Amino acid sequence: MIVRSRLTDWRSYQRPLRKARRKVDRTELLCNHKVMELVGSAAKSQNIDAVFAALADPTRRAILSRLVAGEAAVAEIAAPFRISQPAVSKHLKVLERAGLIERDIDKQRRPARLKAENMAVAVDWLNQFEGFWRKSFDQLDHVLLSMKKTKVKGKGHA
Amino acid sequence: MRELPEYKLDRTFDAPREMVWRAWTDPELLHRWYGPNVETVIHKFELKPGGAWLNEMKWGGKSDFSKMVFQEVTKPKKLVWHHSSTDADWNIVSSPMMPDWPRVLLTTVTFEDMGNKTDVRLTQVPIDATDAEISCFAKVMSRMDKGWGSGYAILDEMLVELQSKRG
Repeated sequence: MIVRSRLTDWRSYQRPLRKARRKVDRTELLCNHKVMELVGSAAKSQNIDAVFAALADPTRRAILSRLVAGEAAVAEIAAPFRISQPAVSKHLKVLERAGLIERDIDKQRRPARLKAENMAVAVDWLNQFEGFWRKSFDQLDHVLLSMKKTKVKGKGHA
Repeated sequence: MRELPEYKLDRTFDAPREMVWRAWTDPELLHRWYGPNVETVIHKFELKPGGAWLNEMKWGGKSDFSKMVFQEVTKPKKLVWHHSSTDADWNIVSSPMMPDWPRVLLTTVTFEDMGNKTDVRLTQVPIDATDAEISCFAKVMSRMDKGWGSGYAILDEMLVELQSKRG
């Protein structure tokens, strides 16, 4: 449930610049284990680094897209790509280390599954910073427009 | 001494400089645009060197606090402030997600008169930063330079799809 609400949050607005630094998460931490795991793992900056590195590769992004549709084993993931299964396995390892996917150890086919929450947290960080001023500036455009209109009105012009 | 990583954003606004300056320095106007899609509450706004701008951004029952301390106020040309995230008591805090994110960013905004338009340049650089903070900021800046827009688009799609599945 929490995961869904976080993702909804993520979609429904561009979080402000340093949302991730806000203390609010701490209260959530106390009462929600899922969030604790999420924040706990994202708290390591080298993990965020790993996430950025993992997402920088187009094949890995395509693999993630494939996993959106549901868990899949290496052979299934490799099928649409022109790369070998061992190559796919390598990519999966990178994604796994970055915390973006998880794999069942006990099952022989070791299906990979998306852990989208981690990705949302890490990418959100960059998104926030990148979007903060740009989006604020867009809003400033509107404020300036309304200031101009008020000014024109005040002067008795059309 | 290596060069500090810098965030830079240029934008031309379709309004005369005096007006743009007012939109930046009158809290009644500033709160209307500062912070994307959030409710911004300006608790304090002292527009003078050493003066503080205490800012709260609210969304979905949550709040994000930050403190800006003005270093230079040159009407209507230039604003310089130290920008930090804080707790609810305005104490500077580091991020739980990005512990090495610079605690203080030196933020400079210049306003150039272009007649009926105004060129605004905003820059942010870490100040009094540790090596770890500088390198963290540098990494994030370099990711941004590499056109993360397309990366986001893919992730956006994925998350929408994921949401609709779960929803």
